[in-house]
Amino acid sequence: MSMVRFEGVTKRYSDGRSGSKEALSQVDFELAKGEFAFLTGHSGAGKSTLLKLMMQMERPSKGQVYVDGVSLNTMKASQVPYLRRKIGVVFQNHQLLFDRTVFDNVALPLLIAGYQPAEAARRVRAALDSVGLLGFEHRNPIELSGGEQQRVGIARAVVNKPKLLLADEPTGNLDPELSEEIMNLFLRFQQVGVTVLIATHDIALIERMGHRRLVLDHGRLYEHSTQHASSAGDDHGL
Amino acid sequence: MASKPLKTSNAGASAHNISIKDRLSGWGQQHQLVAVETLMKLLTKPLGSAMTWLVIAISLTLPGAMWMTLDNLSQLSNRFQASGSMNVYLQPGLNENDAQALLREIRTRDHVAAASYISATQALAEFRDSSGLGDALDLLPENPLPGVIVVEPDLGAPQNDVKGLADTLKTDGRVDDVELDAAWLDRLHALLALSERIVWVLGALLALAIVLVVGNTIRLSIASRVDEIRVIKLVGATNAWVRRPFLYTGLWFGLVGGLLSWVLLVVGWLLVSGPVEDLARLYGSEFELQPLGAGAALVLLLGAMLLGWIGSWWSVFRHLHQIEP
Repeated sequence: MSMVRFEGVTKRYSDGRSGSKEALSQVDFELAKGEFAFLTGHSGAGKSTLLKLMMQMERPSKGQVYVDGVSLNTMKASQVPYLRRKIGVVFQNHQLLFDRTVFDNVALPLLIAGYQPAEAARRVRAALDSVGLLGFEHRNPIELSGGEQQRVGIARAVVNKPKLLLADEPTGNLDPELSEEIMNLFLRFQQVGVTVLIATHDIALIERMGHRRLVLDHGRLYEHSTQHASSAGDDHGL
Repeated sequence: MASKPLKTSNAGASAHNISIKDRLSGWGQQHQLVAVETLMKLLTKPLGSAMTWLVIAISLTLPGAMWMTLDNLSQLSNRFQASGSMNVYLQPGLNENDAQALLREIRTRDHVAAASYISATQALAEFRDSSGLGDALDLLPENPLPGVIVVEPDLGAPQNDVKGLADTLKTDGRVDDVELDAAWLDRLHALLALSERIVWVLGALLALAIVLVVGNTIRLSIASRVDEIRVIKLVGATNAWVRRPFLYTGLWFGLVGGLLSWVLLVVGWLLVSGPVEDLARLYGSEFELQPLGAGAALVLLLGAMLLGWIGSWWSVFRHLHQIEP
C-alpha cells in the first residue's frame, strides 16, 4: 500500500505571453508507507510544485495524485482541510506566527482538529520534547535562533501525528551541523512509522545519509540509481 | 485515545482517534475561546476600533432617537383622542321620552364615560343667548335645531372603538347624524405614520451603512492577517474555523456600538426630558418623556449585533476564499 502515488502528473502554469510553462511533466512515482526519501533537483526544477500537489495547494493539469489511497483529483474542497491534517509540512522559512508563543504555534493544528486543551497541552509538550525544545513553550519564536525556529516548525508539523511528513528545504538556512541534527530528527519520525519526503539540494548531506533519492530535472522525475539500501522500502515499494 | 508521547508511540495510527463527544466539547470550547479572544483583542486596542464603534453608535442613535420621539408622540396622541367628544344629532321631531330612552341606552354602552341630553328647546335658548339673534329667531315658524346627545368617550378608549360607537349610533333610527371631532386626530395619526415610515427608511439606510462599515473594518483586518490565514489553512483549518474569529469580531463591533448608542440615547433622554416636562406643565399636562424601554434596548443591542455579524459575513465571504496557501 502506498502513501503517495503520482500517475502521469503534469502541471502547467499559464504564463502571460507565451501560453504556459510546464513545471512537472509526466511524473510517476510512489512512496510506500513508512518510507523515507529525498527529493532533489536544481532550483525551479519543480520540487515545491510536487509537494504542493500533495497538499492540494495546487491541482495537476493532467494525471492523478493519490495520498493515503485517496484520489485528490475528485476530492471536494470541503475535504481538503482533513487531507492537510494527515500531512505535516515543514518549510524553509518555517512559517511561524510571531504574534504568539512557541506553545500556541505548536498547538495550532491540535486546536484546529478539535483537541481538548489538556490533551493538546500534553501533546505539544511531547512534540517540543521530541525536537529538544522542552522549556521553550512560553518564548516568542522571534527570540529563537534559526535552528530553533526550524525545530518549532517541525514540532508543529508532527504534533498532530501525521501519516505523511513533507519538508521543503528544511535545512536551507542552517549550518551543516544543525542540518544533520534536523535530518536525524526526521529519521526518528520515520522510525515510528511516519512517511517522510524531504525536498533539499544539500547533496553532501543526502550522500552521507543514504536513503532513496528522487531527482527532478526540468519537470521530469528520475530515481537516483546509486542509492543505499534503506530500512524502509526500496525504489518500487514492497 | 492514544496517550503515549510522540517519541514512543506509533505516530501514524493514532492521529484521528478523537471521540465525537470530545470533538463537540472541543468545538464548544473553541467557540468560547474565539469569542473571548476576539473581544479581548478589541478591548485591549480600543483606539483601533473606536472609530468603527462610534460610527455604529451614531448610525444607531439617530433612528433610535427618532423612534423614541415618535413612540412618545403616539402615546401623547392616544391621550388626545379621549378628549374628542361626540355629538349625536337626533331626528327632528323626536319626542322627549324617546330622546331620554336613547340617552339611557347610550349611557350603558361600552367606552362611554358620560352622556348628556340637550333638547331642541334648550339648544334654541342657548343659541338665542350666545348669538344675539333673539328677535330674528322669533320670526322662524318652528325650531330649526335638533336635539343633541353629547357623548364623552372613556379616557384612553381606543380610537377604533370610539369610531365604532359612532357608526352604530348612526344606524339607529332615532339618530339623524353623528359628529365625531376627530379629523385633526386623523391627521395627526397620518403624520405619525408617515414619520414612522421615514424612520424606517432612514433606519434601513443607516443599517446598510453599519454593514458596510463593519465589512470594511473586517476587510482590513483580513488583509493584515493574510499570512496567519495561510498558515492555519495549511495545517488543516476549515473555512468555518478561519471565518470564526472574524464573525465574532463583527458581533462584538455590533454589541459595543449598540451599547454606546444606548448610552447616547439615555444621555439624550436625560438632557431633553426636563425641558419637555416644563413645556408640558405650561400646557397643563402631566406628560413625561419616556426613556427607551428594556425591550427596545434589547432590540437595539441584538439588532446591532446582527448587523455587525452580517457585515463581517459579507466581508469574509468576499475576501477569505481568495486567500489560499
